Amino acid sequence: MVGSVDSCVLAGLDVRRVHVEADIARGGNGTFSLVGLATTTVKEARERVRSAIRNSGLEFPHTRLTVNLAPAELRKQGTGLDLPIAVAIALARAHKAPPPHTAFVGELALDGSVRHVDGVLVAARGLRRLGYERIFVPAEDAAEAALVDGIEVVPCASLIAVVNHLLGAEPIAIAPRGLDPPASAAALEHDLAEIHGQEEAKRALEVAAAGGHHLLLSGPPGAGKTMLARCLPGILPPLELWEALEVAQLRSLLGELPRDRPLGWARPFRAPHHSVSAAGLIGGGGGLALPGEISKAHLGVLFLDEMAEFQTPVLQALRQPIESGRISITRSGGSVSYPARFTLVAATNPCPCGWAGDGLRSCRCSQATIDTYQRRLSGPLLDRVDLQVAVRRVPLEILASEPTGETSATVRERVVIARRRQVERQGVLNAQLKPARLRQLAGLAPPSRRTLERWSAQRGMSARGFHRAWRVARTAADLDGSDQIEEHHVLEALGFRLQDVAA
Amino acid sequence: MAIVGSRRPSPYGEAVAEQLGLELARAGVVVISGLALGIDAAAHRGALNGGGLNVAVMGTGVDVIYPAGNGVLAEAILAAGGALVSQFPDGTAPRRHNFPARNYTMAALSDVVVVVEAAEGSGALITAEAALDLHIEVMAVPGSIFSPLSVGTHQLLRDGAGLVQNARDVLMALKLGGEVLDDPLATPQRLGFGLRRERDGILSHLSDVLALNAAEIARKLQLPIAEVLGRLTALELDGAVRRHHDGYVRALRRGKERA
Repeated sequence: MVGSVDSCVLAGLDVRRVHVEADIARGGNGTFSLVGLATTTVKEARERVRSAIRNSGLEFPHTRLTVNLAPAELRKQGTGLDLPIAVAIALARAHKAPPPHTAFVGELALDGSVRHVDGVLVAARGLRRLGYERIFVPAEDAAEAALVDGIEVVPCASLIAVVNHLLGAEPIAIAPRGLDPPASAAALEHDLAEIHGQEEAKRALEVAAAGGHHLLLSGPPGAGKTMLARCLPGILPPLELWEALEVAQLRSLLGELPRDRPLGWARPFRAPHHSVSAAGLIGGGGGLALPGEISKAHLGVLFLDEMAEFQTPVLQALRQPIESGRISITRSGGSVSYPARFTLVAATNPCPCGWAGDGLRSCRCSQATIDTYQRRLSGPLLDRVDLQVAVRRVPLEILASEPTGETSATVRERVVIARRRQVERQGVLNAQLKPARLRQLAGLAPPSRRTLERWSAQRGMSARGFHRAWRVARTAADLDGSDQIEEHHVLEALGFRLQDVAA
Repeated sequence: MAIVGSRRPSPYGEAVAEQLGLELARAGVVVISGLALGIDAAAHRGALNGGGLNVAVMGTGVDVIYPAGNGVLAEAILAAGGALVSQFPDGTAPRRHNFPARNYTMAALSDVVVVVEAAEGSGALITAEAALDLHIEVMAVPGSIFSPLSVGTHQLLRDGAGLVQNARDVLMALKLGGEVLDDPLATPQRLGFGLRRERDGILSHLSDVLALNAAEIARKLQLPIAEVLGRLTALELDGAVRRHHDGYVRALRRGKERA
């Protein structure tokens, strides 16, 4: 008697189909062998499945039982195969054919109830793409799976409920497809209107949001760098559906989706501490790597406070994803790739003690320590940051007055329009334009070009810096609704090049 | 005459040291300083621009340029007929305890010591003390009352140091009064860019001492920040303003960026 069902395992965001076969032999003494390149978590399934079947009031075979996980050359890990193994055994006993175009995912508790597994959203999307029409998932993960269009979701509370459903005794109601509408203009936790002064930095945030540019805020402690960074997600357009699903997928892999409202519309904001490891930042872990901070910040903001305090190898690891918007990580279990297209906001003090250039307190660092500190920052990473702006502490008399700036909602309207212009013109944001396309799409009028070249000659700006300033000028023009890059757009862009200024 | 001061001066202090070095060199005074960064380098540079003689009193062996970044400056001093001098044997590396002795020597070589910007405990104050011990006249340039770099110089002034408002004050102390070629009371504006000021309202709002950032200027002028940033950058390109980490200051002389 052979029973079989389909399931899957995840390799990052990739879904691999697994065919689970259970064979109950005529003879033998009740041994249970599991074959098919199963890792420890899967091998342990034997004990969970045995107890779960018994405690569900079903009979566990007394003869020899063999479960095969095919294809045999695929390494399988995770606990999601518990439910399909148990169902395959039950179908073998009942001499039932497997339900067509159906897959099962779920972990079993010893009492036979079905438990949460990570990555159900990813599994559901992948299985639909593989042509499956129905998926059985843990009841608590059903809302997550139901975000996926075109696949029926059967919530499973317990093994016995699943078996009764399959044998036609007691059908389970399929989960309603659950897409929450985007939250209407909910009050932002951090609004630009609450920040006093800092017009220069606020403008830099607006330009960064509009063109997808990375940003460096440099200033003494307490100048408000963190507050400014936290305002960035609020002036970015809300996530679109496909974006929200991408963000949710990554969180699903980590088991971080809220059960009741799995889909979020807010842009992610991640602020890892400077003690973070390279694996924590870009992703890692044993076997197959899990997403790190940069992927959690996908389509949102990655904020690195006290950037000079991060270990150099950790910062170096950021270079590839910053260029490509993806990260590939190879571990013992294989290689996985995660999206990581984020806006980097880095914050730093001007010197180790933080007070260089401050009017109130004098800096105690020697020139040599400042040089070392600046060198750590001016590496290849900051070379990829388009906007650099000095943040000064706001004078007390301004702090005491009522803030008079624009709200995040107002700024966001301009950002949305500027981004739409870019996408209609070139399909990507300005920050992602390659030099060749930049020349083709963002021609500089002669006065604008002359200004850019003059600055370049005066300050020894590199070719890369030249293109960065050019892109920022393109964004300034887009915010202006201008097809031409005028000279004042170039001048503004150069105003955000703190790196060309003597310390 | 020695010009000494902070290794990390404000733009104002740097401009003052350069201007004093230039005008005094033009008047034929030998400018002595310590070849350090900041005020020292500015004074040497000014004296070179004024076509005068420089003496760099070093805290290392004369064959060890410290900081190394001043190698070009040291060569220029020699090329102009000046001298690098040191009380230490050749090959002496920079040692913290050698510099106070150097400061003493510098004072001993001078007829007047002018301090431009010195925070509390600055090495320049050691030179000033040495000068007092040696009965050599000490003078100081006043600075902004907001700046920590003025603490030392203002203390000297309070204790009776001579006030330096222009090169003529120093020349008087050297009993060489009246030989400055430029009008010594010339204000920076008159030395610089009178015409530009007419054309652009921003310059008159900038100070040559206290840095203002773009946000503060935009607030004063009631202009959008993007426009102010652009206009400041245009002025910066022309060398009329300088951008520092903490904001913008008016450049004292046109073309200083390229110096």
